[in-house]
Amino acid sequence: MSDHDHKPAPMVDEVSDFEILEMAVRELAIEKGLFSAEDHRVWTEYVHTLGPLPAARMVAKAWLDPEYKKLCASDGVEASKAVGVNWVTSPPTQFGTPSDYCNLRILVDTPTVKHVVVCTLCSCYPRPILGQSPEWYRTPNYRRRLVRWPRQVLAEFGLQLSPDVEIRVGDSNQKTRYFVMPVRPEGTEGWTEDQLTEIVTRDCLIGVAVPKPGITSNAKRAVHPAVHPVHHDHDHGH
Amino acid sequence: MSAPSINASETERCDQVVDTTPIPLLQSIQAHGRVWEDLAAQYGVTNPDPPWKITLEATCDLLAGDSCVKPYDQVAPGSCALPSLERRAEEDELSATIYEDVPFPERQLLALAHSMIKRGLVDEAGLASKMKEVEQRLNSA
Repeated sequence: MSDHDHKPAPMVDEVSDFEILEMAVRELAIEKGLFSAEDHRVWTEYVHTLGPLPAARMVAKAWLDPEYKKLCASDGVEASKAVGVNWVTSPPTQFGTPSDYCNLRILVDTPTVKHVVVCTLCSCYPRPILGQSPEWYRTPNYRRRLVRWPRQVLAEFGLQLSPDVEIRVGDSNQKTRYFVMPVRPEGTEGWTEDQLTEIVTRDCLIGVAVPKPGITSNAKRAVHPAVHPVHHDHDHGH
Repeated sequence: MSAPSINASETERCDQVVDTTPIPLLQSIQAHGRVWEDLAAQYGVTNPDPPWKITLEATCDLLAGDSCVKPYDQVAPGSCALPSLERRAEEDELSATIYEDVPFPERQLLALAHSMIKRGLVDEAGLASKMKEVEQRLNSA
């Protein structure tokens, strides 16, 4: 009897121009000495290991352990070690990286204060603990409107907040990254850390959603263009 | 009224305007290249992102300096070919204009190639030639 009766997983069986372009750009950059093939391999391998699970587990742990929650609120970098993320020694440099600066602040929601994260300048994101940012997070439309009309933007994500809930926006930058620790939802009494981790989705950690029993994935978002021309003059601050 | 911002952003300026004049090679890819969302749908693949998305991100990171893989004291001064803030600003501009109809991350890739060509980090003919070479290699099996 053959060992190969199982059906192979579907795969894309053609080479696209975009795949070719990505390889060509990378190989030319290496040939021109802009970076080395080895550096690229090392960094790619590291980035492949990243995702939102460590941050979700931190939230679950904090919900179960008030002392750990205090640590999360006061020292996000130290608290990250409990889920295997060392902001200093995990990256290939062993010294952190300027692009994922070693200053994580965890924004702790309360029943009357909701936090949400953006990067108004570009798309800074706490990659060591959340992985790659979603497309909508990168768009000028989200970045501009969230700081001006956070309540309306959150409502577009399906998050209708009572008028007496204050919204605070964390604006990521070169020096500081954020994620949100939402309030533990009702209906999770007696749950284990693993069960709680499952409902803390990436969107909950950015702050555009709140955890709910039974919801373990992110909603697909439409992406809207920005109507006005893009200008990157940030001299007037935020 | 805007929401209180917890931490004012660093006020680095980034006002240079990218040259959005179309580049024929990239226009051709934009017109004829098959994007991941179409390929994934046709072949029944559930991965929402193309396999090259992470390598593209790594290329962007490393063009912003090898400080993501080397300790600070080993980073050569002036080794940054394309600062990330400038690249992202140009990507925003290009995404809102000539590559508006291209989905993500294909749009990010076209914007990166565009920025590199306009800055002279690679030239269009050299990129076209390298693409032919890569295509022959990938289709040689």
